[in-house]
Amino acid sequence: MPSLESHENGRKPWRSMAELAGAPEFRALLEAEFPKEADPQGINRRRWLQLMGASLALAGTSGCRWEKEEIMPFAERPERRTAGLPERYATAMDLAGAAIGLLVTAFDGRPIKIEGNPLHPQSLGATDSLAQAAILGLYDPDRSRQVFHRQPGSRETAADWERFEAFFREHFGGLRETKGAGFAVLSDSDSSPTVARLRGQLRNAFPQASWYEYEPLSRDHERLGSIQAFGAAYRTQLRLDRAGVIACFDADLFGDHPAALAAIRQFAERRQPDERMNRLYAIESCYTITGAAADHRLAIRPSEIGGFLNQLEAMVEGAEGQTPPEWKRLLEAIADDLEGHRGGSLLVAGPSQPPEVHAAVHRLNAALDNAGQTIVYTQDPDPERPAHFEALRALVARMERGEVQTLLVLGGNPVYDAPADLAFAAAFSKVATRIHLSQFDNETSQAATWRLPQAHFLEAWGDARGFDGTYSIVQPLIEPLWGGRSKIELLAAIAGMEAPGGYDQVRETFKGLIAGEEFESRWRKCLHDGVLEGSAWPAVTPQLVEKGPASQPPDENRKGEPGGLEIVFQRDGSVYDGRFANNGWLQELPDPMTRLTWDNAVLVGPATAERLGLAGEVLVRLTSGGRRIEAPVFIMPGQAEDTLAIALGYGRTAAGQVGGSARLEVKPVGVDAYRLRRCEAPYFDGPATIEPLGAVSRLAATQNHHAIDTIALEGKARRLGQLVREATRGEFLEHPEIIAHALHLPGGAKEGELNSLWEEHSHDGYRWGMSIDLAKCIGCGACVTACQAENNIPVVGKERVLEGRQMHWLRVDRYFKGSPEGPSVVHQPVACHHCENAPCEQVCPVAATVHSREGLNDMVYNRCVGTRYCANNCPYKVRRFNFFYYHFNLEKPGNGVLKMAFNPEVTVRSRGVMEKCTYCVQRIQAAKIAAKNEAVASGDPGRRVRDGQVETACQQACPARAIEFGDLDDKKSRVAAAHGSDRAYGMLAELNIKPRTKYLARIRNPHPSLDTSEHDQSGHRD
Amino acid sequence: MTSPAIAISDNTSSDPRQRAPLITCAPDCALITETVCRVVEREKTPLAWYAAFAVSSSFTVVMFLAIGYLFLRGVGVWGNNIPVAWAWDIVNFVFWVGIGHAGTLISAILFLFRQNWRTSINRFAEAMTIFAVMCAGIFPAVHIGRVWVVYWLAPYPNQMQMWPNFRSPLLWDVFAVSTYATVSLLFWYLGMIPDLATLRDRAASRWRKLAYGLFALGWRGSARQWHRYERAYLLLAALATPLVLSVHSVVSFDFAVSQVPGWHTTIFPPYFVAGAIFSGFAMVVTLMVPARAFFGLKELVTIRHLDNMNKVILATSCIVGYAYATEFFIAWYSGSQYELFAFLNRARGPYYWAYWTMVVCNVVVPQVLWLKKCRTTPWIMVIVAILVNVGMWFERFVIIVTSLSRDFLPSSWGHYAPTRIDVAMLLGSFGLFFTLFLLFCRYLPMVAMAEVKAAVSHHPGSDHRH
Repeated sequence: MPSLESHENGRKPWRSMAELAGAPEFRALLEAEFPKEADPQGINRRRWLQLMGASLALAGTSGCRWEKEEIMPFAERPERRTAGLPERYATAMDLAGAAIGLLVTAFDGRPIKIEGNPLHPQSLGATDSLAQAAILGLYDPDRSRQVFHRQPGSRETAADWERFEAFFREHFGGLRETKGAGFAVLSDSDSSPTVARLRGQLRNAFPQASWYEYEPLSRDHERLGSIQAFGAAYRTQLRLDRAGVIACFDADLFGDHPAALAAIRQFAERRQPDERMNRLYAIESCYTITGAAADHRLAIRPSEIGGFLNQLEAMVEGAEGQTPPEWKRLLEAIADDLEGHRGGSLLVAGPSQPPEVHAAVHRLNAALDNAGQTIVYTQDPDPERPAHFEALRALVARMERGEVQTLLVLGGNPVYDAPADLAFAAAFSKVATRIHLSQFDNETSQAATWRLPQAHFLEAWGDARGFDGTYSIVQPLIEPLWGGRSKIELLAAIAGMEAPGGYDQVRETFKGLIAGEEFESRWRKCLHDGVLEGSAWPAVTPQLVEKGPASQPPDENRKGEPGGLEIVFQRDGSVYDGRFANNGWLQELPDPMTRLTWDNAVLVGPATAERLGLAGEVLVRLTSGGRRIEAPVFIMPGQAEDTLAIALGYGRTAAGQVGGSARLEVKPVGVDAYRLRRCEAPYFDGPATIEPLGAVSRLAATQNHHAIDTIALEGKARRLGQLVREATRGEFLEHPEIIAHALHLPGGAKEGELNSLWEEHSHDGYRWGMSIDLAKCIGCGACVTACQAENNIPVVGKERVLEGRQMHWLRVDRYFKGSPEGPSVVHQPVACHHCENAPCEQVCPVAATVHSREGLNDMVYNRCVGTRYCANNCPYKVRRFNFFYYHFNLEKPGNGVLKMAFNPEVTVRSRGVMEKCTYCVQRIQAAKIAAKNEAVASGDPGRRVRDGQVETACQQACPARAIEFGDLDDKKSRVAAAHGSDRAYGMLAELNIKPRTKYLARIRNPHPSLDTSEHDQSGHRD
Repeated sequence: MTSPAIAISDNTSSDPRQRAPLITCAPDCALITETVCRVVEREKTPLAWYAAFAVSSSFTVVMFLAIGYLFLRGVGVWGNNIPVAWAWDIVNFVFWVGIGHAGTLISAILFLFRQNWRTSINRFAEAMTIFAVMCAGIFPAVHIGRVWVVYWLAPYPNQMQMWPNFRSPLLWDVFAVSTYATVSLLFWYLGMIPDLATLRDRAASRWRKLAYGLFALGWRGSARQWHRYERAYLLLAALATPLVLSVHSVVSFDFAVSQVPGWHTTIFPPYFVAGAIFSGFAMVVTLMVPARAFFGLKELVTIRHLDNMNKVILATSCIVGYAYATEFFIAWYSGSQYELFAFLNRARGPYYWAYWTMVVCNVVVPQVLWLKKCRTTPWIMVIVAILVNVGMWFERFVIIVTSLSRDFLPSSWGHYAPTRIDVAMLLGSFGLFFTLFLLFCRYLPMVAMAEVKAAVSHHPGSDHRH
C-alpha cells in the first residue's frame, strides 16, 4: 500500500514520539525486541502479518525442536528403541584440545545427562563439572541462533546460511584465485583429526593463507620446556598409578590438567592406608585442590618455584647449596623421598610456570629414572605449531599492517580473552571481512562482519583425541537446535570439499586412521564404544639435549622491590577461560577452595592482607603494568604471601542473560582480569599494586558468609576432629581403632548400638546406603554438578546465594585446619544421610517426609506444605527450600528451550516445598524394574539388583571413585565392605539418628621427618 | 505518685492488720457502673482515640499488604534461609502467644484462687489475650511455603486418606493454640454477658440497644441465670486453667522436641510458661496504665492492682533469669559440645547484642520492682514493662535465630538478616493488636462491672470500717 507510505505527515501510524521523530533510541529498542523486523528493507506489513500469523500458529508447538520437514511419523520403531526408555550414546567432549569420552543419556531424542565413558582412558567413567554442565550449555537460550551480517558502515542485519553461502562462494572463489593471500584463520585448540586434515585441504586450496591457533589457557610452557629439554615438542603423560611420590610445582594436577580425571583416579587408587599409599607434595602459590589433597604443601610465590626446583635439583644431584632455612626441611624430605623412589616418583610443573622450570622438571624426571616409568612422553599432535601467544602476536601484527583482509575465527573469543597488551580488538577491526563461528554471540562475534552459529558437540558429527591421543568419534544426539554448523562443516565447505557434511568428513578421516580394513564394523564399534582401541599415541623416549647454562630456571622475582606484590592469573574451575560464563550451573558451583559462586575476587593471604590493611569484600584497585581493574578482595588462607590471585574468565559483557550482557543490560559476573594480562607474563606478573577504594562489594560464598569470630573458631576447632576424621597412615596402621575413638559415646557404646526410645523402622527388600571415602575425595565438585543435572536442581543466582538459599542437594564442605598461613584443607561431600531415625520425619506435621521400606528418607513434594521444620531439625542442613518459584526464567520469551534439559524422571519442584537428596531414587527404581524384568526373563524369582547396578549421579561422576552406593544387606557389596571398614564412621552418629551414609576417614601420608600429627592432633582425639 | 485520689486513700499498704481496699472509690454499685459505662457511652469519640486508631489501623493495612505480597511471591520475601528456616515469623508467633497468657491466668487461675483483686483487670487482660492470640495465629498460618494447603494441618477426612503426623509438635501446636483461642474467647464472652446486658439496658440509641442486646443473649439477671452463669464460669475457669500451662508448654515443644542445640532442652515448658506470664503481665501493665488514666478508671484499677501485677512480673522475671542460668549450667553439665557451644554462641557470638538485650531487659531491669516506689509509680512501671516486652521478643529471637544460625556443622552456619517485609509484618501485628484493643476500649466494658461489684459487696465496707 504505497499510498499509506506517501502520506508523510499525519497519516502514518506511530507508536511514540520517538518513533515519529525516527529517534535512534527507538530503533535500538525495536531492534532489541524484534531483531529481524527491525531490518528496514527486510519486511513489509504483509510479510510481517504472515510471519506473526505463522508464529501464532506455531506457538503451540514451541516445545518442538525438529524442523518441519524432519518430523516423521513413528510408524516404524527404530531398532531397539522403546518409547519412554532412555538411550545412551557414546560421544566425546573436546576442551581446548583434549577430549574426554562421554556417554550421553537421551530421553525421547533429547540429551539430558552426561556421564563419563568407562572405556575411555581419559574419563574412566568419570566427568568433571564442565562436562556435566555441557547439557545446560546445549540448551542455553542465549546461544547464537542465527547468521548475522554487517555491511561495512551499516548496521548488522539478520541473514541465513544461504546468504552466507552465496557470500562465501563469491568471496572464497576470489580468494582461491589469489591463492588465499590476505586470508587467515584463527582457531581455538581442537584435537579433531578431521579439523587437522581439513586444515591441510585448506592449505592446498589457499596456499598463501595462514592458520593461527590461540587458547588463552594452554600448556604451551610445558611444551616449550620440552623443546628446551629435548629439542622437540613432546607431550608429557603422567602415570600416577606407578608413582609412590608425586611432587607438584604450581601444578594443579587435579584441577586444570587436561588428563585430570585419569590422574585423580590413579592418585585416589593409591590413597588406601597400605604399603602402596602414595605421598603428594605440592609447592604452589594459590591453594588448589591438588594442594588440598597433598600430604605436604608449601605456599610460595610463583616466581620462587624455579628457585625451589633449583635447590631440589642441586640436592638430588648431591651438590651443596645455600638452602633457605624455611624450605630446608621440606626440600630434604622431598629429596629423600625422590631418592627412595627412583623410577617411582613423579615431578610435574604447572602450565603457569615458565618453560625453564618445565625443562628443569624434565631433566629431574630423567635423572630420577622416572622418564618412561611414571612420566611417559608421546608425540605432540602438531609439533610445528608456534606457541599460542606467539601466534596471536604474529596475527595481530599482520592485521595491524593490513596484511589480512579475511579473517575466519573458528570458535574462541579473542576480542575478550587476548592479552591486553596486544590490542587485538583494534587490530581485528582493520580486517575487512571478519567471520566468526561461535556458539554464542560473544565479544568477538559482535565485532565480526559475519557471525555464524556454531553447533554444539552434541549436535554435530566430529572427532576428537584425548590428551593421550585416544581417538573418539563425536556423535551427535540431536539435530542442531538453532541450525548451527560445526567447524568441520564450515571448513569442508570453504575448502571446497565435495561432501561437506560432518558425517562424511569424519568417516573420511576414520578411513585414514584404520588403514582400510573392515571399515564399517570398526566404525560401528568405535561409535558404540566411544573409543578407537589402541589409538593412544605410543610412548617415545626423547633424549635430553646437553644441559646448557641458559636452561637454568632464572630465579626471577616479579615482586619488584621488597614488599612488592605479584599477581597470579588463575584458571577458574567454573567458567574456564570465560567460555562457560553463561552457564548457571557452573556459575553457581562453589569454587572448591574459596566456596565463591558468581564472582571472582582478588585472593590475598591473611598476613599480606593484614599488612596491606585489606579486609574481605573490600573493593580494591589492582594495578599491574600500567593497567588496572577494580575487584573485591577475598582473604584466602594458604595463599602465598605477597601474591594476589585473580581468576580469569569473568567480567564478560557479551555472555548472555546469566554471565552478563551489555545488550540485555545484565551486569557482568565478576571482573575481567584479562585486562591486566600481558603476553610476556600471561600467568603471573608484577610488581602489582593494590589500593582499597573504600567501597564494599559482597561476595557470594556458600560457606562463611560472614566473618568468623573467636567463639566460632573455637567451636569449630573442637568439633572438626569428630566431624571430619583424619589420621596419618602410621597412626592408623598402628591403631586402627583411632577413627572410632574420635568420639566417646556414653557407656562406651559403639556407633549404631545406642538404644532408641522408639521402635525403629524395619526394612524389607533392600537397605540402601552410601559411603564416601574422604581419603580419595579431592573436592573437585563434579558430583555437585552431576547432582544438579540429574535432579533438576534450579539455579538461584547471586542474590539468593548471598541470602543463604542455594539449592544444591549435595555440597562439598571445605574446612581449614591449622594456622591461617599454612592451613591444611579437607573436603567433605554432604548430602542427605537418609538417617534411619530421621529427625526430619518426626517433626513434619503433614507427613510429607517419610521412611520408605528400603530405608530411604522419601520426600513427598505433593504433600509438603513448607513449614521448614524438617530443615531446622536436620543436623546436616542438607534440606533445601524453594523460597521462591525458581523456574520463573523458563517463562521468559525464548527460554522455553531450557525445559528440554530437565530429567523427566525427576519432579520439578515448585515454590514453597522442601527438597533434598533422594539417593537418586529414580535410578534405584529403574534398576529394580530392570532386575524384576530379568527375574522374569531368567525364571529366577530371587533375582535382585546387583551390586553396582544402581549408581547415583554423584557416584558416577566422581573421578576418584570416592563414593560407593548399594545394598547394605548384601554383605558382598562394596558399600557394605566400606561400612565395615575401620575407617568408617557416621558423622554425628552420637545423635543416634543412624545415618545410612558413612564416611571413611581421611588418611594422610606425611614424610616421617615432617610428621607432626602426634603432637598436633592428640588434643582433638581425647 | 501524688495523685490526690490515691493520696486520700492509698490502698497499697501491706500492713497485715488492715485489709487494703480493692477500689479507691466508694463501693457504690451505681458509681462503678457509671464509671465503666461512661467510657462506652460517650457521645463524642475523643480525638486522641481517632488519632491512635488511624495510626494502628494503618499499620494493620501494612500488615495485610505485606501478607498479600508474601502470598504472591513466596516465603523468600522474608529473610529466612537455610539454616535459619524459621525467623521472625516464629519469633512473632511465640511472642504474641506469650502475651496472650496473662488474660487467662488472671481470669482463670486467680479466679480459682479467689484473688478478688483480679476483677478490676480481668476483662481487660482477657481482651488482650484474645487479640494477642489472633496476632499470633496469623504467623504460623502464613509462614508455610504453600499457604493454599494450610488446611492439611488439620485432621479431617480426605480423599488422600491421610492423617497429619501426630508425632509432630507443630501439629500439637495447632491443637493447643486453637483450643486456647476458643476457650479464651468463650471465657471472655461469658464473663461479659451481664455487663453487655447492663449496656443494653442503659443504651440510648436503638442500634446500641440492638447490638448489645444481641450479644447479651437475653440476660435478665435472674437468680437462676446468675446461678447457671456462675457454674459455667467456674467450669470454664477450671477448663482454662490447664490450658494456661499447656499452650506455652506445647509451643515450647516445637523447640524442645527437636534436636537443635539450644532448643533441645527439658527446661523449656516451665521456662516458656513463666516467660509467657511475664510478658503477658508486662503487656497488661503497659496498656493498663495509660488506659486507666485516659478513660478515668483510676479508682477501679488502683495502684494496688498495678502493684500486684508488678509483683508477678518480678517473680516471673526471677524464674526466667533462673532459667537462663540453668540453661548454661546444663549445657556445660551435659558434656555435649554442641549444647555448650550453642549457649556460648548466644552470649559471645554474632548475635551477642540480642542476648544481652534480652538479659538486661528481662532479668536486670525488672529487679527495680523490688522497690515499692517503682512498683507503685506508673511511669516507672510502664518503662519497665515495655522493656520486658522488648526483652521477651528478643528472648524468642535469641532462641530461634541464634540456635539455628549455628548448629552442628560449621560449614552450614549462616546469618539471618530481616527484610523490610519482616519489619512490616512485626509492626503490622502491633497495628492489628492496637486496632482491636482500641475498638475494645471504645465499645466494650473495660472492667468487669458485675464482678467488681460482687467482689466489693462480698466484703461490704470492710476497708472503710476498720
